[in-house]
Amino acid sequence: MKLFIYILKRILQTIPLLFIVSLISFFIIRLSPVDPLAELKLNPSVSKETLQRETERLGLDKPIIVQYGKWAKSFVKGDLGITSNGESVAVKLKERIPNTLLLTIIVIFLSWIVGVPLGIMAAVKWKTPFDRMLTVLTSIGMAIPSFFFAVLLLIFAVKTGWFPIGGLTSSNFLEMSFSEKVFDITKHLVLPVTVLFTISLAGLQRQMRGNLLDVLDSDYVKFARAKGVSEFKVIFKHALRNAVNPMITLLGFEFAGLLSGAALTEYVFQYPGLGRLILEAVLRSDINLVMASLMMGAIMLVVGNLIADILLIITDPRIRDNGGKQA
Amino acid sequence: MRRRIISVLVVFIAIVLLGKACIRRDTVELEKPKLRPKADVIANNYKQPENYSLGGIDYLMSENPVGNFGGVMVLSTIGEGPKTFNPFNTKDNISSMMSEIMYDGLVTTQPITGEVVPKLAKSFEVDGCRYIVHLRKGIKWSDGKLITADDVVFTWKDIILAGFGNTSIRDSIIINGELPKVYKIDDYTVEFVTPQPFAPFLRMLASPIAPKHVFLPAVKKGKAYFDTFQSTNINPKDLVTSGAFRLKEYVPAQRVVYGRNPNYYEINKKEEKLPYLDRLVYLIVGDVNNEVLKFEGGELDVISLQGANVARFKEMEKHSDFTVYNIGPDTGTMYLSMNLNDRKDSNGKFYVDPKKQLWFGDVNFRRACDYAIDRKNMVLNIANGLGEPLFTPESLNSIFLNKDLKPYNRDINKAKELLRKSGFYWDKKGHLKDRFGNHVEFDLYTNAGNTEREAIGVMVKQDLEDLGMKVNFKPIEFNSLVNKLVSTLDWDMVIMGLTGSPLEPNGGKNVWMSNGTLHMFNQRLEKDMNSKRLPWEKRIDYLYEQGALAVNFEERKKFYDEYQKIVYEQKPFIYIYSPIRIVAIRNKFKNIFPSSLGGVTHNIEEIFIGDDN
Repeated sequence: MKLFIYILKRILQTIPLLFIVSLISFFIIRLSPVDPLAELKLNPSVSKETLQRETERLGLDKPIIVQYGKWAKSFVKGDLGITSNGESVAVKLKERIPNTLLLTIIVIFLSWIVGVPLGIMAAVKWKTPFDRMLTVLTSIGMAIPSFFFAVLLLIFAVKTGWFPIGGLTSSNFLEMSFSEKVFDITKHLVLPVTVLFTISLAGLQRQMRGNLLDVLDSDYVKFARAKGVSEFKVIFKHALRNAVNPMITLLGFEFAGLLSGAALTEYVFQYPGLGRLILEAVLRSDINLVMASLMMGAIMLVVGNLIADILLIITDPRIRDNGGKQA
Repeated sequence: MRRRIISVLVVFIAIVLLGKACIRRDTVELEKPKLRPKADVIANNYKQPENYSLGGIDYLMSENPVGNFGGVMVLSTIGEGPKTFNPFNTKDNISSMMSEIMYDGLVTTQPITGEVVPKLAKSFEVDGCRYIVHLRKGIKWSDGKLITADDVVFTWKDIILAGFGNTSIRDSIIINGELPKVYKIDDYTVEFVTPQPFAPFLRMLASPIAPKHVFLPAVKKGKAYFDTFQSTNINPKDLVTSGAFRLKEYVPAQRVVYGRNPNYYEINKKEEKLPYLDRLVYLIVGDVNNEVLKFEGGELDVISLQGANVARFKEMEKHSDFTVYNIGPDTGTMYLSMNLNDRKDSNGKFYVDPKKQLWFGDVNFRRACDYAIDRKNMVLNIANGLGEPLFTPESLNSIFLNKDLKPYNRDINKAKELLRKSGFYWDKKGHLKDRFGNHVEFDLYTNAGNTEREAIGVMVKQDLEDLGMKVNFKPIEFNSLVNKLVSTLDWDMVIMGLTGSPLEPNGGKNVWMSNGTLHMFNQRLEKDMNSKRLPWEKRIDYLYEQGALAVNFEERKKFYDEYQKIVYEQKPFIYIYSPIRIVAIRNKFKNIFPSSLGGVTHNIEEIFIGDDN
């Protein structure tokens, strides 16, 4: 029950937050000098009447505050509006969300399943050559800019011909059998996943290593060791449980990045995900689409944090009792 | 300690080697590639399909070599891909291209000569204001229904003239407030009547024709519904089309796949139904770099090349499976314009500083700038030699190009002489002063991010500073620039580009008519519509009106020749150069006749994959 009230409170807190985020982003977009009709205005074959109609259709003839009001009203009702090309924003997003989720979930899954054990191993084998080697590799992984790495891999794909150059499916995808389809998508995913995985892995591994090292240094671990508890038990039963808390917070952020974390890589690999859609929308000042994606990002962040906090309450009795009192 | 140094060294060497592996040795910069005007020769071999009746059906017969059936051609489009598959709703080039693949028009443009030739129509007759179009008997939509006069009349009367979807065709054929009329004479004959002779109308007949039995229900539901009709979410099976290819699959942000239309009305000499190719794929790529990579990786069959890539591809061509074609000048034009506006804004302030008005309004000043500009140098250095200096508003491949207007080279002395004539002089430091002693200094704008225009800006600045002017070159964001050009009008000089039609100068009326929405060099806002016109502006207005009214090509050309001459002399726009279009196409494709007017795919139904592959 306490947990339930706590969640409810948190949800109520997000409402003013979302309001402020939407207000700021709406005004920044609309006050920027980007004119959604600039291309049309420079097209000699577009008549004045057409321009006028477009202005009215996009609501550009009204003051910004009225435009915002209109947008906010339909947003609250759950209607995301239409893009500047007249397509439904919700449909556009729905087209892309599965692709982005496919990419990011694979990356998150892989990097956690590899990164956390690697971090533990590095901490346990602290200052051995194994640890040092991992440190060097992860430093490279953290230092290399994702778009640059992506471009390098693309050139690699062109030179060797082993991987397709960007995209998600081959042009004859429709004619393939199911297993061929799976293989085709896998082939397309290898390079973008490699880029995102390398970068995400580096951060995770170091975080895990650092956390565990801190804990291994604490008195109760020393005490457990002195008591003669087996090393396996010391690490997995005592140290790890305490080292994992910051990782849960991190998981919350990863959740927020599910839909927006891969924009640059998506762009370089021409991956048909949300990132590319939104980048193109921003360049065109396609207000409804940009707003929808920004709000989605904000909501994902809030939800991600909420999930992380709840998980923390479950895993950590200290927070549970404390959180309970406050709530 | 030593081990540590060694391990650091090993890692370092590994990184260096890795880096080295990624670098290709720079090939020595060869001389600028000399491209044979190959495409002209090839294009001249192109044979236009002829009418051919077989079993009571009026087919079109391909006159080019007979080929093999099957295979795929992969092309690309840069940007976001199509926004709609309804050819009457398109607002951008990609959507129009993608939807017009599927829907043929009554007529089309002969890709070499630019003449109007029948397509969906069997023949047509023009008699002043009357256009009689005879349709092919027995040809079918992709769903097997006959294409008849009803479809044509419906398309024109109930969609285009009724103002459904994108109204740009309708807007451009309003003649003195009246619209053309369309009548059905019999099942295979349609008559169009324009309120008065209006030459551009003939090319408008190239607009796609819609199947009445599919579009009628949508039209009945009103304009708002029509705007969403046949959007990109449509099931491809629901499209009923007339073109050689029809939509098979659309994957957002990845590709558009077209399959053969089994009912297409063109046959080859063996009386087999075209098209040869099974599928036509357009990949949707985000930018030029990715497109080039995809071509090199073999995922693309055709690519348009620009700048430095041309030299590289020319080198690769020798040991690769593609050929680089020079298709000739592009329809794009790049120009330098001055603001001739001498009016005040609503606050009583001049749009352009009065002292600058005296400079820009002076034809000698404009001509001096023109002579000072080194077009050849720009073509060589900015366009990598792949361009042609330009002096006229009509692009170099336009069938209306006035060939009497001769190109000339940079002549700084002539420029100085012209300036002296208008009372300009140079002070001891070499600064140019007008006769009131004002130093000639102004801003030059272009849109930031367009590297080509930015490079031109730098060179124009240098060229003009040779005359002692001070030019402040300011590339600004595209949208802000457009705002300056069409709304706030507070600019001095600008480098811009426009694309025009090489077939129909009347498309430029928004630029050249003095009340046009893009009459940039002397833009009149709503409140200034009745302000005075310059004498040569009036003359161009007259020529544009007459040019549209005259029907005969020779007669029209006289009007358009004169307007080009006025622009050539008055220099409201100083044209700089026109880029040349270069494409690379894989050799396995046959019946390839790229042309300046038609591009690569004008005969897409005839293209096939040769035996040796």
